[in-house]
Amino acid sequence: MEPARAACRGGEPRTGVLAHLERLEAEAIRSRKQLEQQAEESALESKINKLRSLRDQLRADVKRRQATIEASTANSEPNRMAGIDEPEDLQRKQENMKGILQAYHFTGLSGKLTSRGVCVCISTAFEGNLLDSYFVDLVIQKPLRIHHHSVPVFIPLEELSAKYLQTDIQHFLFSLSEYLNAYSGRRYQADQLQSEFADFLAGPLQRNPLCNLLAFTYKVELKSQSFPFCARLMYKDITVTLPTDVAVTCQAGEPSTSQEEQRVAHENLFRSKPLHQVFALFAKKGEKLDMSLIS
Amino acid sequence: MDSRRAELRALEAEIAALRRACRETPAPVGDTAQARTSLQEIYRLDSQGWGTSKDLRSHVGHLESELLFLSRLTGINIINYSKKTEERASTKMAEESLTKVLERHRLSGHCQMISFQLEFQILEIQNKENLSSVITDLNIIMEPTEYSELSEFVSRVEERRDLFMFFRSLHFFVEWYEYRERTFKHFQEKYPEVVRLSEGASSSSMTVQSASLPWYELVIVWRIQIDAEGKVLPKLDLLPKVPKQALELDKNRVIQTAPLSFRTLLSVLGIEATLESLVTCLCPKEN
Repeated sequence: MEPARAACRGGEPRTGVLAHLERLEAEAIRSRKQLEQQAEESALESKINKLRSLRDQLRADVKRRQATIEASTANSEPNRMAGIDEPEDLQRKQENMKGILQAYHFTGLSGKLTSRGVCVCISTAFEGNLLDSYFVDLVIQKPLRIHHHSVPVFIPLEELSAKYLQTDIQHFLFSLSEYLNAYSGRRYQADQLQSEFADFLAGPLQRNPLCNLLAFTYKVELKSQSFPFCARLMYKDITVTLPTDVAVTCQAGEPSTSQEEQRVAHENLFRSKPLHQVFALFAKKGEKLDMSLIS
Repeated sequence: MDSRRAELRALEAEIAALRRACRETPAPVGDTAQARTSLQEIYRLDSQGWGTSKDLRSHVGHLESELLFLSRLTGINIINYSKKTEERASTKMAEESLTKVLERHRLSGHCQMISFQLEFQILEIQNKENLSSVITDLNIIMEPTEYSELSEFVSRVEERRDLFMFFRSLHFFVEWYEYRERTFKHFQEKYPEVVRLSEGASSSSMTVQSASLPWYELVIVWRIQIDAEGKVLPKLDLLPKVPKQALELDKNRVIQTAPLSFRTLLSVLGIEATLESLVTCLCPKEN
């Protein structure tokens, strides 16, 4: 009230109560405006502060990202960093990378990018012999999808992909590779027996598609007499290449002691060595076989 | 006031630009979990560059991302590779012609933390009907460091000349190794007062010891074994360490049969729950 009264006294003598009230009102409006402006200013200030800290955060983030990119490119290509990007260098680099891409075949898993994803090649081998390859064509989207594949029906691909395809692609691929390599390995052993040691076989070798059940009759010379044995090999775990269950029986009635010894020795051999290697032993040792087997 | 507004606008513009920059540069890939899931991203990044200019530089760029993609897909990084080929004089039989080619390969790289260097020979024999390829010699050089569990496996692989088994088992070994590390770390963080890792994070054993029973100690030894067929299997054992006097008092032979009971528990509960129940046994009670 103090300033209003002062204005009244010294300013305009003719003013009445109404004018005084008007003046008071104007005063109030002015101070309200001032308050509003202050509030606006402080809001602006705090917004600016917020934005500043956000900017600093983003700046740091961008810097970090760029640093990692630079670090990774510096690791893989020192040439570019040094500014020597001559065509010869590029050429050499290109050849080098092509070589490495091919070298992935030796890991057993390789891949070629396609327009939709990647076609993974799974190679198989048995003890150094490079065998068949299989492919799984993956469409890269969420979720990952198998478009085509050449995996035989009796390999549990569905089960494996349901379990691991979405969560752990590496585990999926290596598990599939384990199944395929075991299958290839069993088939290779059976094929080798049929092609290399046909003379030992009496009749055809019987097998199921998965090659985890093999049955055959074979003859082994014993004291210049030929004895027929029946073998039944079962691979209960289809990710292995050595049989889990082996049964060898003598075909000709009641076996003699030496025949029984042979039978047991053969069972042990089939359990511990690849099939064709057992027959290679039979072929090499001939009649002396029984001696070495007992030890 | 106006200058404040101008600053605000400038800030907003800069933030928008930075956001754009963030979107364009891929986030740094740190841990393996992220590395495993970013397959889609790499693929997308790579396919963007397709079909553009066909000059050498872009081709090299394309090869680069294809390599990155393969290393993420397989978890195996090949750093160096070289190959020498020599054609062996073909032995001419009467009717069939054989061509023999011997390739010498040298390859080095790593699978997560494990580095390897391989040297192998492949003999290719081509006759009229078919082509056969055989690995005739395989040498694996690995630094004999903390992964002693691998050394026996490596010599077996060399003997069998089974390259694919090497990489497959190596992958599964690393998987188990990381799992062991994570599990032990989890227990140490959850029960710091009773769980001790004697050899640090990559320890193969974990010691459980309660402050209220300082003479009583349980050691869990977790080995990762690779069998003759290349299968990687965890093998966990419990070693109770108890003073002699306590053993004499143990009429029911609880301590002596503990390792066996531990095995049974493992087969029923699995690794994590078994360890959990063992650790909580020795934990000081809350109340």
